Amino acid sequence: MEAVRVGNRLIGAQAPVTVGWENIPRVEGGPIKRFVFTWFQPTMLFALILFWYYAPNSIAKTSTAVGIGIGFKVLLLGLEWVNPRYRSWRLTWKELVTDLFYVGLGYTLVRLVNGYIGSGVMVKAVQHAFDWDKFTWFMGLPLLVQAFLISFIFDFGQYWMHRGMHNWYPLWLPHSVHHYITQLNINKGAVGNPVEIFLIGLGVGGFFDFLPRAALLAGAIGMAVSTYQHINVRFNTPRWWRFVFNTTEHHSVHHSQDFEASRSNYAGTYIFIDRMFGTCIDGEAELLGMEGGRRMSIREQMTYPFTEGWKTLKERFARPAEVMPAE
Amino acid sequence: MKRNWFDWIWHVTGSLPLAPGQSSEEAFGRLGPLFQQSGTTRSRMGDTLTFRKKDQAAQDSMSVFDGGVLQIRDEAAGGVLHYRLTSRALLFCFLAPLLFLAFAQLTIALGRWEKPAAEAARAHKEQKKTVELPQNPIDKALGAPAPDKPKKDGTDLSEGQDKKPSPTSAYVFAAMFAVLYVVGRVLEGRLVRSLLGKKLLGLPDMLATTAAD
Repeated sequence: MEAVRVGNRLIGAQAPVTVGWENIPRVEGGPIKRFVFTWFQPTMLFALILFWYYAPNSIAKTSTAVGIGIGFKVLLLGLEWVNPRYRSWRLTWKELVTDLFYVGLGYTLVRLVNGYIGSGVMVKAVQHAFDWDKFTWFMGLPLLVQAFLISFIFDFGQYWMHRGMHNWYPLWLPHSVHHYITQLNINKGAVGNPVEIFLIGLGVGGFFDFLPRAALLAGAIGMAVSTYQHINVRFNTPRWWRFVFNTTEHHSVHHSQDFEASRSNYAGTYIFIDRMFGTCIDGEAELLGMEGGRRMSIREQMTYPFTEGWKTLKERFARPAEVMPAE
Repeated sequence: MKRNWFDWIWHVTGSLPLAPGQSSEEAFGRLGPLFQQSGTTRSRMGDTLTFRKKDQAAQDSMSVFDGGVLQIRDEAAGGVLHYRLTSRALLFCFLAPLLFLAFAQLTIALGRWEKPAAEAARAHKEQKKTVELPQNPIDKALGAPAPDKPKKDGTDLSEGQDKKPSPTSAYVFAAMFAVLYVVGRVLEGRLVRSLLGKKLLGLPDMLATTAAD
Protein backbone atom coordinates (compact mmCIF):
# COMPACT_ATOMS: atom_id res chain seq x y z
CA MET A 1 0.00 0.00 0.00
CA GLU A 2 1.36 3.39 -0.97
CA ALA A 3 1.76 5.69 2.00
CA VAL A 4 1.94 9.49 1.87
CA ARG A 5 4.33 11.44 4.02
CA VAL A 6 2.63 14.20 6.05
CA GLY A 7 5.22 15.96 8.19
CA ASN A 8 7.06 13.22 10.05
CA ARG A 9 4.32 10.68 9.56
CA LEU A 10 3.54 8.07 6.94
CA ILE A 11 -0.19 8.04 6.32
CA GLY A 12 -1.97 5.17 4.61
CA ALA A 13 0.59 2.39 5.11
CA GLN A 14 -2.02 0.02 6.63
CA ALA A 15 -5.27 1.12 4.99
CA PRO A 16 -6.14 3.48 2.12
CA VAL A 17 -6.37 7.16 3.04
CA THR A 18 -6.78 9.97 0.51
CA VAL A 19 -4.50 12.84 1.47
CA GLY A 20 -4.93 16.38 0.14
CA TRP A 21 -8.09 18.26 -0.85
CA GLU A 22 -7.19 18.11 -4.55
CA ASN A 23 -7.64 14.33 -4.48
CA ILE A 24 -11.12 14.33 -2.93
CA PRO A 25 -14.09 13.75 -5.29
CA ARG A 26 -16.57 16.56 -5.92
CA VAL A 27 -20.37 16.47 -5.79
CA GLU A 28 -21.76 14.95 -8.96
CA GLY A 29 -25.04 15.97 -10.59
CA GLY A 30 -26.85 19.00 -11.94
CA PRO A 31 -26.15 22.65 -11.08
CA ILE A 32 -28.86 22.82 -8.40
CA LYS A 33 -27.54 19.74 -6.59
CA ARG A 34 -23.98 21.04 -6.77
CA PHE A 35 -25.11 24.47 -5.51
CA VAL A 36 -27.04 22.99 -2.58
CA PHE A 37 -24.24 20.67 -1.49
CA THR A 38 -21.67 23.46 -1.75
CA TRP A 39 -23.52 26.09 0.27
CA PHE A 40 -25.64 24.00 2.65
CA GLN A 41 -23.17 24.02 5.55
CA PRO A 42 -22.34 27.78 5.61
CA THR A 43 -25.99 28.72 5.00
CA MET A 44 -27.21 26.63 7.92
CA LEU A 45 -24.50 28.02 10.21
CA PHE A 46 -25.25 31.67 9.40
CA ALA A 47 -29.02 31.09 9.50
CA LEU A 48 -28.74 29.55 12.97
CA ILE A 49 -26.48 32.36 14.21
CA LEU A 50 -28.96 34.97 12.93
CA PHE A 51 -31.87 33.09 14.49
CA TRP A 52 -30.30 32.86 17.93
CA TYR A 53 -29.00 36.43 17.76
CA TYR A 54 -32.38 37.98 16.98
CA ALA A 55 -34.96 35.51 18.38
CA PRO A 56 -37.20 37.13 21.04
CA ASN A 57 -36.46 36.07 24.60
CA SER A 58 -39.69 34.07 24.71
CA ILE A 59 -38.33 31.81 21.91
CA ALA A 60 -34.61 31.81 22.76
CA LYS A 61 -34.87 28.91 25.19
CA THR A 62 -33.19 25.54 25.65
CA SER A 63 -36.36 23.72 24.61
CA THR A 64 -36.25 25.52 21.23
CA ALA A 65 -32.61 24.47 20.84
CA VAL A 66 -33.51 20.83 21.54
CA GLY A 67 -36.31 21.00 18.95
CA ILE A 68 -34.03 22.58 16.34
CA GLY A 69 -31.35 19.99 17.09
CA ILE A 70 -33.75 17.10 16.46
CA GLY A 71 -35.15 18.72 13.29
CA PHE A 72 -31.62 19.38 12.02
CA LYS A 73 -30.64 15.73 12.48
CA VAL A 74 -33.75 14.54 10.64
CA LEU A 75 -32.89 16.91 7.77
CA LEU A 76 -29.34 15.56 7.67
CA LEU A 77 -30.65 11.98 7.60
CA GLY A 78 -32.55 13.04 4.46
CA LEU A 79 -29.37 14.47 2.94
CA GLU A 80 -27.58 11.17 3.65
CA TRP A 81 -30.28 9.48 1.61
CA VAL A 82 -30.09 11.97 -1.29
CA ASN A 83 -26.36 12.38 -1.64
CA PRO A 84 -24.33 9.72 0.18
CA ARG A 85 -20.56 9.99 0.30
CA TYR A 86 -20.09 6.22 0.10
CA ARG A 87 -22.57 3.43 -0.60
CA SER A 88 -20.68 1.33 1.93
CA TRP A 89 -21.73 3.82 4.63
CA ARG A 90 -25.44 3.57 3.72
CA LEU A 91 -27.58 3.62 6.86
CA THR A 92 -29.41 0.34 7.41
CA TRP A 93 -32.24 -0.39 9.84
CA LYS A 94 -29.87 -2.25 12.15
CA GLU A 95 -27.33 0.59 12.16
CA LEU A 96 -30.10 3.14 12.82
CA VAL A 97 -31.44 1.13 15.76
CA THR A 98 -27.95 0.64 17.18
CA ASP A 99 -27.07 4.33 16.81
CA LEU A 100 -30.36 5.45 18.36
CA PHE A 101 -29.80 3.15 21.32
CA TYR A 102 -26.62 5.07 22.14
CA VAL A 103 -28.36 8.42 21.51
CA GLY A 104 -31.07 7.23 23.91
CA LEU A 105 -28.51 6.32 26.56
CA GLY A 106 -27.06 9.83 26.24
CA TYR A 107 -30.47 11.43 26.76
CA THR A 108 -31.42 9.24 29.72
CA LEU A 109 -28.89 7.27 31.75
CA VAL A 110 -25.77 9.33 31.00
CA ARG A 111 -27.71 12.57 31.58
CA LEU A 112 -28.88 11.22 34.91
CA VAL A 113 -25.32 10.39 35.98
CA ASN A 114 -24.09 13.75 34.64
CA GLY A 115 -26.55 15.45 36.98
CA TYR A 116 -24.53 14.14 39.91
CA ILE A 117 -20.92 14.06 38.79
CA GLY A 118 -20.83 15.78 35.38
CA SER A 119 -19.23 19.00 34.22
CA GLY A 120 -22.14 21.18 35.38
CA VAL A 121 -21.57 20.04 38.93
CA MET A 122 -17.82 20.59 38.64
CA VAL A 123 -18.28 24.12 37.27
CA LYS A 124 -20.63 24.93 40.13
CA ALA A 125 -18.15 23.55 42.65
CA VAL A 126 -15.29 25.59 41.20
CA GLN A 127 -17.44 28.72 40.98
CA HIS A 128 -18.42 28.18 44.58
CA ALA A 129 -14.82 27.76 45.72
CA PHE A 130 -13.47 30.96 44.18
CA ASP A 131 -14.60 34.53 43.94
CA TRP A 132 -15.55 34.51 40.30
CA ASP A 133 -17.49 37.75 40.58
CA LYS A 134 -14.37 39.40 39.22
CA PHE A 135 -15.20 37.81 35.89
CA THR A 136 -18.71 39.18 35.47
CA TRP A 137 -17.20 41.51 32.83
CA PHE A 138 -17.41 38.47 30.51
CA MET A 139 -21.18 38.96 30.32
CA GLY A 140 -20.63 42.50 29.04
CA LEU A 141 -18.73 41.31 25.94
CA PRO A 142 -20.52 41.22 22.55
CA LEU A 143 -22.72 38.14 22.26
CA LEU A 144 -20.81 36.59 19.38
CA VAL A 145 -17.48 37.02 21.18
CA GLN A 146 -18.93 35.30 24.24
CA ALA A 147 -20.37 32.53 22.07
CA PHE A 148 -17.07 31.97 20.26
CA LEU A 149 -15.10 31.92 23.51
CA ILE A 150 -17.50 29.45 25.14
CA SER A 151 -17.34 27.06 22.18
CA PHE A 152 -13.59 27.53 21.72
CA ILE A 153 -12.78 26.89 25.40
CA PHE A 154 -15.02 23.81 25.29
CA ASP A 155 -13.43 22.52 22.09
CA PHE A 156 -9.92 23.24 23.35
CA GLY A 157 -10.64 21.11 26.42
CA GLN A 158 -12.22 18.45 24.29
CA TYR A 159 -9.19 18.41 21.96
CA TRP A 160 -6.87 17.56 24.83
CA MET A 161 -9.28 15.07 26.36
CA HIS A 162 -9.61 13.35 22.98
CA ARG A 163 -5.87 13.45 22.33
CA GLY A 164 -5.35 12.06 25.81
CA MET A 165 -7.70 9.22 24.98
CA HIS A 166 -5.51 8.27 22.04
CA ASN A 167 -2.30 8.46 24.04
CA TRP A 168 -3.05 7.16 27.53
CA TYR A 169 -4.21 3.57 27.87
CA PRO A 170 -6.75 4.03 30.72
CA LEU A 171 -8.51 6.71 28.66
CA TRP A 172 -8.07 4.79 25.40
CA LEU A 173 -9.96 1.79 26.80
CA PRO A 174 -13.38 3.51 27.00
CA HIS A 175 -12.76 5.48 23.78
CA SER A 176 -11.50 2.53 21.74
CA VAL A 177 -14.96 1.04 21.23
CA HIS A 178 -16.12 4.18 19.40
CA HIS A 179 -13.40 3.42 16.84
CA TYR A 180 -15.02 0.11 15.91
CA ILE A 181 -17.66 1.90 13.81
CA THR A 182 -17.16 1.13 10.13
CA GLN A 183 -19.30 3.89 8.67
CA LEU A 184 -20.14 7.48 9.50
CA ASN A 185 -23.80 8.45 9.94
CA ILE A 186 -25.17 11.41 11.84
CA ASN A 187 -25.88 9.53 15.05
CA LYS A 188 -22.56 7.66 15.08
CA GLY A 189 -21.06 10.34 17.31
CA ALA A 190 -23.12 8.88 20.15
CA VAL A 191 -21.84 5.34 19.66
CA GLY A 192 -19.47 4.35 22.42
CA ASN A 193 -19.15 3.08 25.94
CA PRO A 194 -21.19 5.21 28.37
CA VAL A 195 -18.00 5.89 30.36
CA GLU A 196 -16.53 7.54 27.27
CA ILE A 197 -19.71 9.44 26.49
CA PHE A 198 -19.51 10.76 30.04
CA LEU A 199 -15.78 11.62 29.76
CA ILE A 200 -16.09 13.42 26.43
CA GLY A 201 -18.94 15.46 27.87
CA LEU A 202 -16.70 16.62 30.70
CA GLY A 203 -15.37 19.52 28.63
CA VAL A 204 -16.08 22.80 30.24
CA GLY A 205 -17.48 25.78 28.38
CA GLY A 206 -15.87 28.19 30.78
CA PHE A 207 -16.10 29.06 34.42
CA PHE A 208 -17.23 32.57 33.60
CA ASP A 209 -20.80 33.66 33.89
CA PHE A 210 -22.23 34.23 30.45
CA LEU A 211 -25.49 35.41 28.97
CA PRO A 212 -27.97 32.58 28.36
CA ARG A 213 -28.29 33.71 24.72
CA ALA A 214 -24.50 33.40 24.28
CA ALA A 215 -24.64 29.80 25.51
CA LEU A 216 -27.43 29.06 23.03
CA LEU A 217 -25.39 30.65 20.23
CA ALA A 218 -22.35 28.58 21.22
CA GLY A 219 -24.49 25.45 21.18
CA ALA A 220 -25.83 26.34 17.73
CA ILE A 221 -22.30 26.90 16.37
CA GLY A 222 -21.20 23.56 17.81
CA MET A 223 -24.23 21.81 16.36
CA ALA A 224 -23.94 23.42 12.90
CA VAL A 225 -20.29 22.38 12.63
CA SER A 226 -19.51 19.32 14.69
CA THR A 227 -22.59 17.33 13.61
CA TYR A 228 -20.91 16.97 10.20
CA GLN A 229 -18.07 14.96 11.76
CA HIS A 230 -20.17 11.83 11.47
CA ILE A 231 -22.23 12.15 8.32
CA ASN A 232 -22.45 10.20 5.09
CA VAL A 233 -22.92 13.16 2.76
CA ARG A 234 -20.69 14.35 -0.07
CA PHE A 235 -20.27 18.13 0.23
CA ASN A 236 -18.12 20.53 -1.76
CA THR A 237 -16.99 22.05 1.50
CA PRO A 238 -15.71 25.61 0.91
CA ARG A 239 -11.98 26.06 1.32
CA TRP A 240 -12.27 28.55 4.22
CA TRP A 241 -14.69 26.25 6.06
CA ARG A 242 -12.41 23.22 5.98
CA PHE A 243 -9.46 25.38 7.06
CA VAL A 244 -11.29 26.59 10.15
CA PHE A 245 -13.80 23.85 10.96
CA ASN A 246 -13.73 20.10 11.39
CA THR A 247 -15.41 18.22 8.53
CA THR A 248 -16.58 14.70 7.79
CA GLU A 249 -13.46 14.35 5.63
CA HIS A 250 -11.18 15.14 8.57
CA HIS A 251 -13.11 12.85 10.86
CA SER A 252 -13.11 9.95 8.42
CA VAL A 253 -9.30 10.13 8.44
CA HIS A 254 -9.47 10.03 12.24
CA HIS A 255 -11.59 6.85 12.04
CA SER A 256 -9.45 5.23 9.34
CA GLN A 257 -8.21 1.66 9.75
CA ASP A 258 -4.74 3.16 9.27
CA PHE A 259 -3.26 3.57 12.77
CA GLU A 260 -1.12 6.62 12.00
CA ALA A 261 -4.03 8.41 10.28
CA SER A 262 -6.30 7.76 13.26
CA ARG A 263 -3.94 9.76 15.47
CA SER A 264 -5.04 13.04 13.90
CA ASN A 265 -7.91 15.56 13.76
CA TYR A 266 -8.86 15.44 17.43
CA ALA A 267 -10.86 18.69 17.67
CA GLY A 268 -14.64 18.51 17.53
CA THR A 269 -15.47 21.90 16.03
CA TYR A 270 -12.35 23.96 15.31
CA ILE A 271 -9.86 22.00 13.21
CA PHE A 272 -7.46 24.96 13.49
CA ILE A 273 -6.69 23.68 17.00
CA ASP A 274 -5.25 20.58 15.30
CA ARG A 275 -3.39 22.84 12.88
CA MET A 276 -1.94 24.74 15.87
CA PHE A 277 -0.62 21.56 17.45
CA GLY A 278 0.45 19.76 14.26
CA THR A 279 -2.10 16.96 14.39
CA CYS A 280 -4.24 17.96 11.38
CA ILE A 281 -4.38 15.78 8.27
CA ASP A 282 -6.49 17.08 5.38
CA GLY A 283 -7.99 14.16 3.51
CA GLU A 284 -10.59 11.42 3.74
CA ALA A 285 -10.94 7.65 4.18
CA GLU A 286 -13.63 5.11 3.42
CA LEU A 287 -12.32 2.01 5.19
CA LEU A 288 -12.95 2.69 8.86
CA GLY A 289 -12.71 0.75 12.08
CA MET A 290 -10.38 -1.47 14.05
CA GLU A 291 -9.18 -5.05 13.63
CA GLY A 292 -9.78 -4.91 9.89
CA GLY A 293 -13.29 -3.50 10.26
CA ARG A 294 -14.75 -5.97 12.78
CA ARG A 295 -18.15 -4.73 13.97
CA MET A 296 -18.46 -4.67 17.72
CA SER A 297 -21.82 -5.67 19.19
CA ILE A 298 -23.57 -3.45 21.75
CA ARG A 299 -22.87 -6.03 24.47
CA GLU A 300 -19.15 -6.03 23.73
CA GLN A 301 -19.08 -2.21 23.54
CA MET A 302 -20.51 -2.11 27.05
CA THR A 303 -18.05 -4.57 28.56
CA TYR A 304 -14.88 -4.24 26.43
CA PRO A 305 -13.14 -1.43 28.38
CA PHE A 306 -13.54 -3.38 31.61
CA THR A 307 -12.67 -6.85 30.28
CA GLU A 308 -9.67 -5.50 28.36
CA GLY A 309 -8.55 -3.45 31.34
CA TRP A 310 -8.82 -6.49 33.60
CA LYS A 311 -6.86 -8.59 31.11
CA THR A 312 -4.09 -5.99 30.96
CA LEU A 313 -3.95 -5.68 34.74
CA LYS A 314 -3.72 -9.44 35.12
CA GLU A 315 -0.91 -9.60 32.58
CA ARG A 316 0.99 -6.79 34.26
CA PHE A 317 0.62 -7.91 37.85
CA ALA A 318 0.41 -11.66 37.39
CA ARG A 319 2.90 -13.60 39.47
CA PRO A 320 5.47 -15.28 37.31
CA ALA A 321 4.73 -18.98 37.06
CA GLU A 322 6.57 -20.77 39.83
CA VAL A 323 9.27 -23.02 38.54
CA MET A 324 9.44 -26.26 40.44
CA PRO A 325 13.02 -27.24 41.13
CA ALA A 326 14.01 -30.42 39.46
CA GLU A 327 14.13 -33.23 41.92
CA MET B 1 -48.55 -21.46 20.19
CA LYS B 2 -46.88 -19.14 22.71
CA ARG B 3 -43.50 -20.26 21.55
CA ASN B 4 -44.47 -19.60 17.93
CA TRP B 5 -45.47 -16.07 18.83
CA PHE B 6 -42.23 -15.49 20.73
CA ASP B 7 -40.22 -16.91 17.83
CA TRP B 8 -41.98 -14.61 15.37
CA ILE B 9 -40.52 -11.62 17.25
CA TRP B 10 -37.00 -12.35 16.13
CA HIS B 11 -37.25 -14.99 13.42
CA VAL B 12 -38.02 -14.32 9.79
CA THR B 13 -39.40 -17.22 7.81
CA GLY B 14 -40.54 -17.47 4.22
CA SER B 15 -40.36 -19.38 1.00
CA LEU B 16 -39.53 -18.61 -2.59
CA PRO B 17 -40.19 -20.77 -5.66
CA LEU B 18 -37.11 -21.60 -7.71
CA ALA B 19 -37.09 -20.81 -11.42
CA PRO B 20 -38.48 -23.69 -13.50
CA GLY B 21 -35.80 -26.29 -13.97
CA GLN B 22 -33.43 -24.72 -11.44
CA SER B 23 -31.64 -27.37 -9.40
CA SER B 24 -30.85 -26.99 -5.72
CA GLU B 25 -27.15 -27.12 -6.63
CA GLU B 26 -27.54 -24.15 -8.96
CA ALA B 27 -29.72 -22.27 -6.47
CA PHE B 28 -27.19 -22.66 -3.62
CA GLY B 29 -24.43 -21.71 -6.05
CA ARG B 30 -26.18 -18.41 -6.73
CA LEU B 31 -26.85 -17.76 -3.04
CA GLY B 32 -23.24 -18.61 -2.17
CA PRO B 33 -21.76 -15.05 -2.25
CA LEU B 34 -24.21 -13.97 0.49
CA PHE B 35 -22.42 -16.31 2.88
CA GLN B 36 -18.88 -15.52 1.83
CA GLN B 37 -18.67 -12.49 4.11
CA SER B 38 -16.29 -11.89 6.98
CA GLY B 39 -17.58 -13.37 10.23
CA THR B 40 -19.87 -15.81 8.40
CA THR B 41 -19.56 -19.58 8.64
CA ARG B 42 -21.76 -21.98 6.70
CA SER B 43 -22.25 -25.68 6.28
CA ARG B 44 -24.25 -27.56 3.72
CA MET B 45 -25.86 -30.96 4.10
CA GLY B 46 -27.68 -32.02 0.95
CA ASP B 47 -30.52 -29.60 0.37
CA THR B 48 -30.00 -27.71 3.62
CA LEU B 49 -27.64 -24.80 4.22
CA THR B 50 -26.98 -23.57 7.74
CA PHE B 51 -25.08 -20.36 8.44
CA ARG B 52 -23.87 -18.37 11.44
CA LYS B 53 -22.66 -14.78 11.59
CA LYS B 54 -20.51 -13.20 14.29
CA ASP B 55 -19.50 -9.52 14.41
CA GLN B 56 -20.81 -9.17 10.87
CA ALA B 57 -19.90 -5.93 9.10
CA ALA B 58 -22.49 -3.19 8.69
CA GLN B 59 -21.80 -3.53 4.96
CA ASP B 60 -22.93 -7.19 4.91
CA SER B 61 -26.31 -7.19 3.14
CA MET B 62 -27.58 -9.83 5.63
CA SER B 63 -25.99 -8.18 8.68
CA VAL B 64 -29.32 -8.02 10.54
CA PHE B 65 -29.33 -11.83 10.78
CA ASP B 66 -27.06 -13.85 13.05
CA GLY B 67 -27.86 -17.28 11.70
CA GLY B 68 -30.38 -19.32 9.82
CA VAL B 69 -31.33 -22.36 7.83
CA LEU B 70 -32.14 -22.45 4.11
CA GLN B 71 -33.70 -25.56 2.67
CA ILE B 72 -34.78 -26.46 -0.84
CA ARG B 73 -37.70 -28.87 -1.03
CA ASP B 74 -39.24 -30.48 -4.06
CA GLU B 75 -42.92 -29.64 -4.14
CA ALA B 76 -45.68 -30.25 -6.65
CA ALA B 77 -45.02 -26.98 -8.52
CA GLY B 78 -41.24 -27.46 -8.48
CA GLY B 79 -38.37 -26.60 -6.16
CA VAL B 80 -39.07 -24.16 -3.33
CA LEU B 81 -36.53 -22.42 -1.10
CA HIS B 82 -37.66 -22.27 2.53
CA TYR B 83 -35.73 -20.06 4.91
CA ARG B 84 -35.78 -19.41 8.64
CA LEU B 85 -33.49 -16.63 9.83
CA THR B 86 -32.65 -15.45 13.34
CA SER B 87 -32.08 -11.80 14.22
CA ARG B 88 -30.90 -10.74 17.64
CA ALA B 89 -31.17 -7.12 16.44
CA LEU B 90 -34.94 -7.57 16.09
CA LEU B 91 -35.16 -9.08 19.57
CA PHE B 92 -33.05 -6.28 20.98
CA CYS B 93 -35.27 -3.65 19.35
CA PHE B 94 -38.36 -5.43 20.67
CA LEU B 95 -36.99 -5.34 24.23
CA ALA B 96 -35.47 -1.83 24.03
CA PRO B 97 -38.76 -0.05 24.93
CA LEU B 98 -38.84 -2.01 28.20
CA LEU B 99 -35.30 -0.89 28.99
CA PHE B 100 -36.17 2.77 28.37
CA LEU B 101 -39.37 2.45 30.42
CA ALA B 102 -37.15 1.15 33.23
CA PHE B 103 -34.91 4.24 32.81
CA ALA B 104 -38.05 6.40 33.08
CA GLN B 105 -39.01 4.68 36.34
CA LEU B 106 -35.46 5.10 37.65
CA THR B 107 -35.60 8.82 36.81
CA ILE B 108 -38.93 9.19 38.62
CA ALA B 109 -37.64 7.28 41.64
CA LEU B 110 -34.51 9.45 41.83
CA GLY B 111 -36.66 12.57 41.49
CA ARG B 112 -38.74 11.49 44.48
CA TRP B 113 -35.66 10.68 46.50
CA GLU B 114 -34.18 14.08 45.66
CA LYS B 115 -37.31 16.10 46.45
CA PRO B 116 -36.31 17.30 49.93
CA ALA B 117 -32.87 18.40 48.69
CA ALA B 118 -34.39 20.23 45.72
CA GLU B 119 -36.81 22.09 47.98
CA ALA B 120 -33.94 23.15 50.22
CA ALA B 121 -32.03 24.39 47.17
CA ARG B 122 -35.07 26.36 45.98
CA ALA B 123 -35.36 28.02 49.37
CA HIS B 124 -31.69 28.94 49.18
CA LYS B 125 -32.17 30.28 45.65
CA GLU B 126 -34.96 32.56 46.72
CA GLN B 127 -32.57 34.29 49.08
CA LYS B 128 -30.16 35.01 46.24
CA LYS B 129 -29.98 38.57 45.09
CA THR B 130 -31.28 39.14 41.57
CA VAL B 131 -28.77 40.45 39.05
CA GLU B 132 -29.67 42.53 36.04
CA LEU B 133 -27.91 41.10 32.98
CA PRO B 134 -25.88 43.58 30.91
CA GLN B 135 -26.03 44.07 27.13
CA ASN B 136 -23.04 45.13 25.08
CA PRO B 137 -23.60 48.38 23.10
CA ILE B 138 -22.66 46.57 19.86
CA ASP B 139 -25.48 44.04 20.37
CA LYS B 140 -27.86 46.89 21.22
CA ALA B 141 -26.90 48.75 18.04
CA LEU B 142 -27.35 45.58 15.94
CA GLY B 143 -30.84 45.11 17.35
CA ALA B 144 -30.44 41.96 19.45
CA PRO B 145 -33.18 41.67 22.10
CA ALA B 146 -32.07 42.88 25.52
CA PRO B 147 -31.79 40.19 28.23
CA ASP B 148 -34.91 39.73 30.34
CA LYS B 149 -35.21 41.77 33.50
CA PRO B 150 -34.63 39.66 36.62
CA LYS B 151 -37.65 37.65 37.68
CA LYS B 152 -38.96 37.32 41.17
CA ASP B 153 -37.07 34.09 41.74
CA GLY B 154 -33.84 35.49 40.29
CA THR B 155 -32.24 35.00 36.90
CA ASP B 156 -29.96 32.20 37.83
CA LEU B 157 -27.55 30.78 35.27
CA SER B 158 -27.87 27.33 36.71
CA GLU B 159 -31.56 27.46 35.87
CA GLY B 160 -32.49 24.14 34.46
CA GLN B 161 -29.65 22.37 36.20
CA ASP B 162 -31.61 22.34 39.43
CA LYS B 163 -34.70 21.01 37.68
CA LYS B 164 -36.03 17.62 38.63
CA PRO B 165 -34.84 15.07 36.08
CA SER B 166 -37.64 14.41 33.61
CA PRO B 167 -38.57 10.93 32.37
CA THR B 168 -39.98 12.36 29.09
CA SER B 169 -36.96 11.54 26.95
CA ALA B 170 -36.97 7.93 28.20
CA TYR B 171 -40.65 7.64 27.20
CA VAL B 172 -39.90 9.17 23.78
CA PHE B 173 -37.13 6.64 23.13
CA ALA B 174 -39.33 3.77 24.33
CA ALA B 175 -41.97 4.82 21.78
CA MET B 176 -39.34 5.28 19.09
CA PHE B 177 -38.00 1.75 19.52
CA ALA B 178 -41.52 0.33 19.52
CA VAL B 179 -42.17 1.99 16.14
CA LEU B 180 -38.74 0.99 14.86
CA TYR B 181 -39.42 -2.61 15.82
CA VAL B 182 -42.62 -2.75 13.77
CA VAL B 183 -40.87 -1.06 10.82
CA GLY B 184 -37.87 -3.39 11.08
CA ARG B 185 -39.91 -6.56 11.43
CA VAL B 186 -41.79 -5.77 8.21
CA LEU B 187 -38.96 -4.11 6.29
CA GLU B 188 -36.22 -6.66 6.99
CA GLY B 189 -38.56 -9.53 6.11
CA ARG B 190 -39.30 -7.91 2.76
CA LEU B 191 -35.71 -6.91 2.09
CA VAL B 192 -34.32 -10.40 2.68
CA ARG B 193 -37.05 -11.91 0.53
CA SER B 194 -36.23 -9.54 -2.31
CA LEU B 195 -32.48 -10.15 -1.81
CA LEU B 196 -32.82 -13.94 -1.94
CA GLY B 197 -35.20 -13.69 -4.92
CA LYS B 198 -32.78 -11.53 -6.89
CA LYS B 199 -29.86 -13.80 -6.08
CA LEU B 200 -31.81 -16.85 -7.23
CA LEU B 201 -32.56 -15.10 -10.53
CA GLY B 202 -28.93 -14.09 -10.85
CA LEU B 203 -29.73 -10.35 -10.69
CA PRO B 204 -27.20 -7.94 -9.17
CA ASP B 205 -27.73 -7.19 -5.50
CA MET B 206 -28.47 -3.49 -5.18
CA LEU B 207 -28.15 -3.66 -1.42
CA ALA B 208 -24.67 -5.12 -1.42
CA THR B 209 -22.15 -2.46 -0.62
CA THR B 210 -18.45 -2.87 -0.63
CA ALA B 211 -15.75 -0.42 0.18
CA ALA B 212 -14.56 -0.71 -3.40
CA ASP B 213 -17.79 0.78 -4.81
